[in-house]
Amino acid sequence: MTAVVRRRALNLRRHGWSIGVWLLLAVLIGWYVLLIPRFGSFQIASIIKNSLPLVYLAIGQAVIVITGGIDLGAGAMLVLANSASATLMQDQPFLVTILIGFGIILGAAALNGFVGWIINVSRVPDIVVTLATSFIYSGLALMILPGPGGGTSAGFRILFTGSDDGTGTSFGFSLGMLLVPVVIAAFFMRRSRTGLSLYATGSDLNAAYLSGVDIRRAKVIGYAFGGAMAGLAGLATVAITGSGDPRFSIGANATLNSVAAIVLGGVALTGGIGSVVGAVAAAIIVFFLSPILSAMGIDPNTAQVVQGSLIVVVMMIAGLLALRRRRAK
Amino acid sequence: MRDTKLRGTALVAILLMVAVACGDGASGDGGGDEGPWTIGVSNTLVGNGWREQMICAIKAEASASGVIDEVVVVNRNGGPTEQIADLESLISQGVDAIILNPTDREALNSVIEEAIDQGIVVVAVDQAVTAEGAYVVTNDQVAYGRLGAEWLFEQMGGTGNVAYMRGIDGVPADTDRDTGFQEALADFPDINVVSEVFTGWDPSTGASQALELITTQQIDGIWTSGIDYTVVDQFAAADVPYVPIVGADNNGFIAQLIELEGDGLVGAAVTNPPAIGGVGASVAISALQGENPDQEVILTPQVFDSSEQGDLEGLYDADQQVGWSTYVNIDPYTSYEAADVATCQGPGE
Repeated sequence: MTAVVRRRALNLRRHGWSIGVWLLLAVLIGWYVLLIPRFGSFQIASIIKNSLPLVYLAIGQAVIVITGGIDLGAGAMLVLANSASATLMQDQPFLVTILIGFGIILGAAALNGFVGWIINVSRVPDIVVTLATSFIYSGLALMILPGPGGGTSAGFRILFTGSDDGTGTSFGFSLGMLLVPVVIAAFFMRRSRTGLSLYATGSDLNAAYLSGVDIRRAKVIGYAFGGAMAGLAGLATVAITGSGDPRFSIGANATLNSVAAIVLGGVALTGGIGSVVGAVAAAIIVFFLSPILSAMGIDPNTAQVVQGSLIVVVMMIAGLLALRRRRAK
Repeated sequence: MRDTKLRGTALVAILLMVAVACGDGASGDGGGDEGPWTIGVSNTLVGNGWREQMICAIKAEASASGVIDEVVVVNRNGGPTEQIADLESLISQGVDAIILNPTDREALNSVIEEAIDQGIVVVAVDQAVTAEGAYVVTNDQVAYGRLGAEWLFEQMGGTGNVAYMRGIDGVPADTDRDTGFQEALADFPDINVVSEVFTGWDPSTGASQALELITTQQIDGIWTSGIDYTVVDQFAAADVPYVPIVGADNNGFIAQLIELEGDGLVGAAVTNPPAIGGVGASVAISALQGENPDQEVILTPQVFDSSEQGDLEGLYDADQQVGWSTYVNIDPYTSYEAADVATCQGPGE
């Protein structure tokens, strides 16, 4: 009985947080519209398309963290998928690039699922194993593509960016590519038996085990899903830039941003709490801070401080709310 | 659909009028003939001394020109994906010119061409882009490698062992410098490269590599890819006599070439000026003023060696850090004073 009540309270908090983050995003966009001289389809297309990689990465990171893990190799997987697909897709027709894209996503899922399995078997903490995989993935990316290069088909670029050269004013395709994975991930996490088992595993490992949840399977599935999303993020970067870039720093930045996004999006690093939908809004916010701070004329070095401070402040507000809620009981 | 778009545009127009009325003077006319104009800067390597000085040179030149009212800098670590987003955000802000240090030769072309289509002047500095219509301002890295190597091999009398201390493997600037170095080497058959290392352009890495080299091998000359003053320090630390050394126009190295001349240090500083940012700004301003500057500017490095103490003293700046690049004024492009670059203030800051 109390468990049900607590779950309801948790649910409310979860949704409340997501709604809050989406509102914050709406306010930021409104503000941006005021800051810049013109706001039209070019700007909309730019925001949606450019936030795609981080959105995908944040969805994957959210699923893994909800399952009770953390993936420090997510950004490196993006770079690996980017390098591999740019190498394979060069000078290929549209249909072949699509097939390669599916292959990359499946390969990324298999590779990261294997990482989940290693964590299960070795019992080494997630953070250690995935730190190691971040170096392995980066090394593999450099082996596949030693320097910037590669390419993809025009159709593949349209799929993610709405334009055959990656920049333009049409945003229908980008919006579709934003919504479809979000809906799939949200549905999977909330409505499917497997998704709920991920929440259960991340929430309380022992309780989940005692209730008959296959916690090892949950971990492998969580990591595989996260890997697939990181692979998709890599494909999005190929579509946006039309090439591959194996540099380590790109992956490291992407990983840090994905963790920042899910924390801001209300996913608890302790596992079991949070939602994909909140993480998506937060990912767009994390992406969006750079243009908005630059439009405000804030010095870029200060902008980084502002960005970090915002995350701390939001987390403190979250902590205060949680404290008040506990006191109220 | 069209209707909502129209309504949206109307709304934006109203908001814009409000913004202008509030004194928010973001200029969005996209390049008239009068100015003042706004320059946007996109850089994707933060905290690097050379890049910071490059940005300061852009700001200094913009201030000195008197026709620029704002320099908007977008500066963060990232690759082509981030830079595309940054360039689109600069386009959205309605800047009149964009100066970028590109992360990739080709990946940015479509967004650069989009900017040019919207009437924005685009100047790539330091590294080239292949986009049509973009201005490109670069340092000639092949000549950088060749000129320094030729000076060194001549200094060594055309014979002996050379330590070849490169930058980062695979980076275009390093590859180009190697091309120049090999060209020079082909003309000096009695020069042996006994050691080839990558410093990663990191002063402390270069220092430890140099210490190992000079204490374990017979070295008659050192070519460095700009990691110079920490390498010179190692000779005193190891108590080994100096050998001819090639470095860049770093303040610390210039100081050593002046102060240690009496101790037998012979060296040459090859310029690789971050003031190229100032040149880029100057080209952008000419283009905005409708003067049709050259589409491509390639700066040939200058060589300053320790036999010309007067020139070195002219370059040395006692107020600056060791990593400060001393070759600040590039004729006929830049119009600022060195102090303007050091204070690093754009118009209105």
